[in-house]
Amino acid sequence: MKYFWLGSLLSLLVSACSAPPVKQASSPVTIRWSRDPGTLDPLALSNPSALDAANLLHVALLSIDYQANAYAPALAQALPQIRSLGDSLTALDYELRSAASWDDGQPVLATDVDFTLKLLNCPGLPNEANRAQYGFIQEVRLDPANPRRFTLICRGRGEDITIASGDFPVLPESVLDPAHTLRYLSLAKLQAWPATQAPAPAVAALVQRYQQANLAREPSHLPGCGPYRLAAWETNHQLRFQRKTKWWADKLRPAPQVLQARPQELVFTVLPDDAAAALALRRHEVDVYPQVPARIFQQLQASTKAQAEFAFYSQPSYDILTAGFNTRRPALRDKRTRQALSYLFDPAGLSAATQLGQGRRTVGLLPPGSPFYNDSLPLPTLAPDRAVALLRQAGWQRRADGHWWQPGATSPLALNVRYRTEEATFATTALQFQTAAARVGIAVTLLPAESSALTNLLQTGDFDVYIRLIKGSPFSFNFATFLHSSTIGSGNITGFSTPLTDRLLLAIPTEGDARRKRLLLRRLQAVLRDEMPLLPLFYLPTRLVVNRRLQHVIPSGLKPGYALTALSWPAAANSN
Amino acid sequence: MWRWLFGRLARAAGFAWLITSLVFIVSRQLPGGPDQLAVADLSESGRLGAAAQAAGSQQVVRLAVRRRLGLELPVFYVTRAGGQWQWHGTANQYHHWAVAVLHGDLGRSYRDGQPVGTLLREALRFTLPLAASAAGLAAGLALGLGLYLARRPGSVGARLLGGLLNGLQVTPLFLLALGLLLLLANPEFLNLLPAAGQAPAASSGGHLVVYWLGRAALPLLSLVLTVLPELTLPLVANLRHEATTGYATTARAKGLPVGQMLRRHALPNALLPLLTTLTDLLPALVAGTVVVEVLFALPGSGRLLAEAAAAHDYPLVVAGVLLTALARLLGLLLADMLNFLIDPRLRPSA
Repeated sequence: MKYFWLGSLLSLLVSACSAPPVKQASSPVTIRWSRDPGTLDPLALSNPSALDAANLLHVALLSIDYQANAYAPALAQALPQIRSLGDSLTALDYELRSAASWDDGQPVLATDVDFTLKLLNCPGLPNEANRAQYGFIQEVRLDPANPRRFTLICRGRGEDITIASGDFPVLPESVLDPAHTLRYLSLAKLQAWPATQAPAPAVAALVQRYQQANLAREPSHLPGCGPYRLAAWETNHQLRFQRKTKWWADKLRPAPQVLQARPQELVFTVLPDDAAAALALRRHEVDVYPQVPARIFQQLQASTKAQAEFAFYSQPSYDILTAGFNTRRPALRDKRTRQALSYLFDPAGLSAATQLGQGRRTVGLLPPGSPFYNDSLPLPTLAPDRAVALLRQAGWQRRADGHWWQPGATSPLALNVRYRTEEATFATTALQFQTAAARVGIAVTLLPAESSALTNLLQTGDFDVYIRLIKGSPFSFNFATFLHSSTIGSGNITGFSTPLTDRLLLAIPTEGDARRKRLLLRRLQAVLRDEMPLLPLFYLPTRLVVNRRLQHVIPSGLKPGYALTALSWPAAANSN
Repeated sequence: MWRWLFGRLARAAGFAWLITSLVFIVSRQLPGGPDQLAVADLSESGRLGAAAQAAGSQQVVRLAVRRRLGLELPVFYVTRAGGQWQWHGTANQYHHWAVAVLHGDLGRSYRDGQPVGTLLREALRFTLPLAASAAGLAAGLALGLGLYLARRPGSVGARLLGGLLNGLQVTPLFLLALGLLLLLANPEFLNLLPAAGQAPAASSGGHLVVYWLGRAALPLLSLVLTVLPELTLPLVANLRHEATTGYATTARAKGLPVGQMLRRHALPNALLPLLTTLTDLLPALVAGTVVVEVLFALPGSGRLLAEAAAAHDYPLVVAGVLLTALARLLGLLLADMLNFLIDPRLRPSA
């Protein structure tokens, strides 16, 4: 027995020192996650890891095609047919793929979609976020002539609604509601169910079954129609997904990009520390390292050995580093003061200092490559002289002590800047602003805060300037969540709104004509630039490092930064 | 003695309960509860639908989350609102929690709905063996090194070792652990020990044990090297002090070699502070060693509790505090008892 232990230890040491393992076509692809998904409950997916995992287990009507950078039909046969019903309703006609089936061979039907939407709105389940997200779907009309056809009746109009209508995992009715009890309750009734009223017996029974299934940790109790099943889960350490030997989408010819599932096994290793993750990559314990920080990316690229072993990708994400001004503060009420302060940020220098110069500068809330980008506006730059001139125009006077005063004011212009503690980019931006402001006589106090405390401080208006990320999307032009007057106190942190911007914000998502939409978006960008409630500094890059032998790497600016199920090892076995 | 022991145990349990109750009440007054986090996540990711833009809709989401988690109830039996004290009877969060804990139910995590007891048990499976072996190894090494350094105070080896221990004492754990990782698990330097990696597929129990032993080597080394100076340096000082006392001189005069004198006569007297320091490490057995667990990707209780605190997962945080407080107070009790065992003059009856 003692030789067994000795032998095992020696083999462990030898294997640690030896050449990287040989990867075959069936070898698992190992991916670094910075955190454990925590829960795989399809109704309570709260972080990127959980969303990635859910996309392996379940399929939605529409999915992101990372190659085309667009939403494409997944469970749906095609993108929905859109019909307007009056001024405020949209009908979306869907048909499910005829090949789509559950693991037991039963077809995926419109009744499953209907059941899923009811589940997303069932009181008593952890679905509060879903209820807000999909509350715009009022009704599911089943086609009596075709069990795979259905129509979603949605409140509102526009492209956002079309995309959002197909962006939820479809779940099997037969597992959670074999007696079809929920069919007798309409979606509208569930949505309007008063919180104080006891749930209907059918709902109460379903909630009980759902809770007993413990889907947060046992997703196998609700098998989806996705290509993988969860084979093992060691919390905070590792998740292992195995491909189903028979998956319905394998029969599709040609195979749609969104329904490709090449790896036979996917292993997600939870490595919270970036330096440890980089070492794991170097040791070939990890094959894919997404969302690589700039410093690690640079270090890896500097190594000739790493250059030979790994492929490096960097491209702009849709997350914008933004500085915002509290327009409710008397000192910041004048747009010229806000414009002046915007000239104290140095987007080019900050991109070089924090993102290896890979940050994509922008004039507004749209990426420079977008057809709706307002290229007639100049890029924001550091210009302290212009800041001084604008401060004077706004009525500020510089006194002998070097500070700026308004006539009759009791204190000079001084600002605090709030940002999240754990992100170095925010701290560097705040420090650069502080330095530039000090040079023109404005005292700036930096007030970093923990993430949730910061959210609370910003929502209660306890700040002068903030630095944070705005998470954008190439599919949505719905900026109302953080700029409309109705969201002041929640999403609209700056407190800024004008009747003109409110009109534009509501018109943009519903505008169907591309030319008019372009005009509206260009106008919005120009107005925001002039009013300056917030200053977009640059789009952050997303960096990906993968084992050079991996094939079909499709990097993307969208999360998780690459097409996960497209990856594969080459068919012929040879060493690294 | 028994009466004293039961008295101390009861006091320890009482203090642990008091600390935990305070944490329970304070945690629920903090901004950024799970309801606010749910809305912030949605809002930031742009996932709020067109129909749910208004601040009112976000309030609905927050209310629903609070209701589901039982956070809409008053926090305590009495609360103060609008300058008035209000009595709520047993319909309050604290009462529900206290009754459940007294029935052995630590509640369920807000994040995944799992029983807190199960989550802690799973995490402690990693942390307890790691921290206990580190404490045991460090104590053994400290004894050996302490005796060596006390016996040869001026030698080159002792001076070098003393310098090394002093250097280690001022090195933060994260720096030391990162240094070891970059030195011993790095293909650019020495690629000797595993730092992350997967357990071999289809492993038997024996292979898994070996795998985890390999994985534990670097974390163990980091912990031992961090604790070692804390244990060794005071022991050396105590041994040197004891060596100058009358009984030590007598023992030496009777012909006992220095080593034997230190081991047989000086060590029992010099051990007392070491025992106190060792029992101080007990809370770490429960609370885990966050830095090491994060750096070496170990799924222990330190990481679990740190992540729970960041996500405002109150049930998990409060249970962690309860266990840590208990471990701390029991550690103090254990230190007292060991002191009594070694030095009967300290016993309460003495």
